[in-house]
Amino acid sequence: MSHPARPGHEGHVSAQFSPQAQAYVASEVHAKGADLAALAARLAGAGVGRLLDLGCGGGHVSFTAAPHVGAVVAYDLSAEMLAAVAGEAAARGLANIETVRGVAEELPFPDASFDVVVSRYSAHHWRDLGAGLRQARRVVKPAGTVIFMDVVAPPTPLLDTFVQSIELLRDTSHVRDYSVAQWTAAAEVAGLVLKGVETRRLKLEFASWIARMKTPPVLAAAIRALEESASGPVRDYFEIEPDGTFTLDTASLVFAPA
Amino acid sequence: MTQTQRPGHEVDPKLLEILVCPLTKGPLDYDRARQELVSRSARLAYPIRDGIPIMLADEARRLDESEIKR
Repeated sequence: MSHPARPGHEGHVSAQFSPQAQAYVASEVHAKGADLAALAARLAGAGVGRLLDLGCGGGHVSFTAAPHVGAVVAYDLSAEMLAAVAGEAAARGLANIETVRGVAEELPFPDASFDVVVSRYSAHHWRDLGAGLRQARRVVKPAGTVIFMDVVAPPTPLLDTFVQSIELLRDTSHVRDYSVAQWTAAAEVAGLVLKGVETRRLKLEFASWIARMKTPPVLAAAIRALEESASGPVRDYFEIEPDGTFTLDTASLVFAPA
Repeated sequence: MTQTQRPGHEVDPKLLEILVCPLTKGPLDYDRARQELVSRSARLAYPIRDGIPIMLADEARRLDESEIKR
């Protein structure tokens, strides 16, 4: 409706996120988190040279990693996100963050050019997870590490369908939240072996979750209606609260090249 | 390490060293005057805007024959 030219998928993702770049830089949900603290602990003193923040969005992996590594490449589809990341990096005095624009499925970097590849809250937007994984595998060094941090789907179809549905209503460029099993299988096909996984619960306060994406009222109302009509097991699992606030699963998956 | 990237600033030379054509993975030539990264193998010139290389074929300029032969 709001896209008369009917953009391709990547254009749709970019259009969804670009106007909200500053909101994602400022977002507490994105800027804070035990997953980022764990990432900082992993990188500190590890002698990492170059790190790729694949689908950097508001740049929180880049800002977390920059003090602990030689150089960070913040890579994203959205020009506005990258401009916001470059501005925030300068404001924080982080001089070792460079920005490059492109898609995850076609990385403009040579084979084995990064010590660590990290991707947080990005892969659920990708048109082709397998292609993105193969590219991550290609650009990481043989002794390197690939870390994916994202919302993960519960393993049962009942709960999976619910989370995909509310994600799509909120952000019509949503593709899929994968389960840990799906992640592991897709990564294995791409030549990445799972070395460790940490799962966490993430509470999303309804009003700010909707405001960050500027979800149209009709779609926000549909999410509330879905929540209200959800069965007991669904309401319990996602801890749906009276104002629509809910809690879902996230995971940090650590892979090494096979 | 002291250079901070701001709109309008040039791309860090160290970054240019690790960029390749996203389609062919072939090398890129930096055209400083035009602020473009030229992929002869893909016959495309990727623009650099506000110091950010834009590595998208959809946004690249197609090279003409004379540029390819040069």
